[in-house]
Amino acid sequence: MGVVEETEPPLKRAKLRAEEPNGNSSVIGSNTVTNSLGDLMARPLTSQGDVDETVGSKGVIKKSEFVRIITRALYSLGYGKTGAMLEEESGIPMHQSVVKEFLQQVKEGKWDESVVTLRRIGLVDEKAVKSASFLLLEQKFLELLKFEKIADALGTLRNEIVPLQINTKRVHELASSLISPSKFVSNGASGKGKGKESVSSRSKVLEELQNLLPASVMIPEKRLECLVENSLHIQRDSCVYHNTLDSDLSLFADHQCGKHQIPSQTIQILESHTDEVWFVEFSHNGKYLASSSKDQTAIIWEISADGHYSLKHKLVGHQKPVTSILWSPDDHQVLTCGAEEVIRRWDTDSGDCIHIYEKGGIGPISCGWYSDGQGIIAGMTDRSICMWDLDGTEMECWKGQRTQKVSEIAMTDDGKWLVSVCKGSVISLFDREATVERLIEEEDMITSFSLSNDNKYLLVNLINQEIHLWNIESDPKLVMRYKGHKRSRFLIRSCFGGYQQAFIASGSEDSQVYIWHRSTGKLILELPGHAGAVNCVSWSPTNLHMLASASDDGTIRIWGLDRINPQKKVQASSSNGVLHRCNGN
Amino acid sequence: MGRIFTVELEGRSYRCRFCRTHLALPDDLISKSFHCRRGKAYLFNRSVNISMGPLEERMMLSGMHTVADIFCCCCGQNVGWKYESAHEKAQKYKEGKFVLERGRIVDEIDLSTEVYIDTRSDTEDS
Repeated sequence: MGVVEETEPPLKRAKLRAEEPNGNSSVIGSNTVTNSLGDLMARPLTSQGDVDETVGSKGVIKKSEFVRIITRALYSLGYGKTGAMLEEESGIPMHQSVVKEFLQQVKEGKWDESVVTLRRIGLVDEKAVKSASFLLLEQKFLELLKFEKIADALGTLRNEIVPLQINTKRVHELASSLISPSKFVSNGASGKGKGKESVSSRSKVLEELQNLLPASVMIPEKRLECLVENSLHIQRDSCVYHNTLDSDLSLFADHQCGKHQIPSQTIQILESHTDEVWFVEFSHNGKYLASSSKDQTAIIWEISADGHYSLKHKLVGHQKPVTSILWSPDDHQVLTCGAEEVIRRWDTDSGDCIHIYEKGGIGPISCGWYSDGQGIIAGMTDRSICMWDLDGTEMECWKGQRTQKVSEIAMTDDGKWLVSVCKGSVISLFDREATVERLIEEEDMITSFSLSNDNKYLLVNLINQEIHLWNIESDPKLVMRYKGHKRSRFLIRSCFGGYQQAFIASGSEDSQVYIWHRSTGKLILELPGHAGAVNCVSWSPTNLHMLASASDDGTIRIWGLDRINPQKKVQASSSNGVLHRCNGN
Repeated sequence: MGRIFTVELEGRSYRCRFCRTHLALPDDLISKSFHCRRGKAYLFNRSVNISMGPLEERMMLSGMHTVADIFCCCCGQNVGWKYESAHEKAQKYKEGKFVLERGRIVDEIDLSTEVYIDTRSDTEDS
């Protein structure tokens, strides 16, 4: 078992090694690797130093392991020649030759030989050996059965499988299959040709062997890919201002979103309104933007291929300022709410008003869509909540014990909850099925709210210049507060946005757009530009890097990434390793 | 002037003389014997629908105080002031309270024509 050049018997050397106080990793294993090297003469090698050799700056990657998984990856990618060449050039074979033999035998279906070779590999874990043997013999049995060699199959079962004394349930199943072989469904679909079936189930056997045998003996397929993916996930999860699509993650540099991944530059100003713009919202599919204004109109804007917005329809008809415009779940229609006037439903494609919803003597303060788009809900001036179906037939009207006009009302898009402001500082979450109500009691008067996409969180704007995030999955819990923006007179709206809605954006009376990091509550950006209070913001649901804001200055601003300085680095971190400087940087 | 957010007070409330926005409740009235340059003024515990101006030191009849003028959030009319802090101990009770000038507010029962008004006594829950 000794290596050729050494003069001292290997065992003695091994002992010496162990006694050395600063000895590196154990030597014993190395002998089995170097044993099967093809060309001992060509390389002046297997000085013990080689085995302990590491790559990488931190000394944790063993060179032999590193090369072996690269070889594995090459074979997986289909570059067999390169894989073989790497094994030869590095002198580090991917698998021990006995393992290679074993795998080859399994592929060719030489089961008896494979069981013998399995023993030769010298696994320590007896259980694993037994399980693997079982697997091989089971496959042998099944193949014999397929070729209708029943006697041989029986023989295998009795003399080879049963003595293993494991997995008796499966043994019984196999036994019963002898009696009715046609009923027995083996791996793979039936009737696809015996040859092909055998091959596909053999590769399944290989897969299962991979799970049974230790990774150092049989390197798992896709091990390198798995390590790289783990690394990307860790980078992504530790990225504080992460606002990038998974498809944009790159292997070339550590991923770290700086603030430059958050929209911060005005890329377009939309000026078609003639008075204050009070509301703005992207459609669910991100293709349109809807805005409503004090000028008594609402506008539907359309995005072109180059990312530019243009006016598609101007919705004229209201006789009062339009306080909100809401997209139907399928984006084909919008609802507009005229302040204490009427609610109108419009078709997005034609721009025509399809229906007007009104009730004598009272007007709507707020409105919303049913989650299925088949009904309208509205909070009215007499403090009631009305529900119409699309034709205008009143379905329900709740004259509850509300002390304020219902300034905001919404139905979660799963249809489960009806959320509304029921008293100045209380929000009601009404479960439509169970007809029970949960309450969120706030510290001060509520001006508006918005729901997260997953219906689990509620963002509440308060009169005291704070925005609160509540978890409404079960008993409502206050999760975070966002501060910094200004509000003293107006109804200012805020919204969720960005990658997995990890950011909160809000308007402000100081004419700026404010953006916070949702989970930490930290204020990230203040965006100046508007010449009047910013009443409402909306973050595109499909474009992580696009934000729209509506202002008293009569304009809507579209915000995007900073194109002039795209790679503004937040801190001087090198591209390879977050905090450490490697790669010679 | 964006979309103004106002709060509604129940029952008989003091309102802005100019735009009738609700400002304070009789329940919150502490004293009717305050004075300002323009005449009488009332001291209230709480006031709603007002926005505050900048803080400043002002010498009042009762001594030096830090006050801020308050304005109706709808029409912007200066309706009084808020006591932020008082320099003399005896005046400390005023801190955090609001003064509304008698000449700037009206005191009337809510005479809106909303339908629910007539049934209010039935549905009213304290």
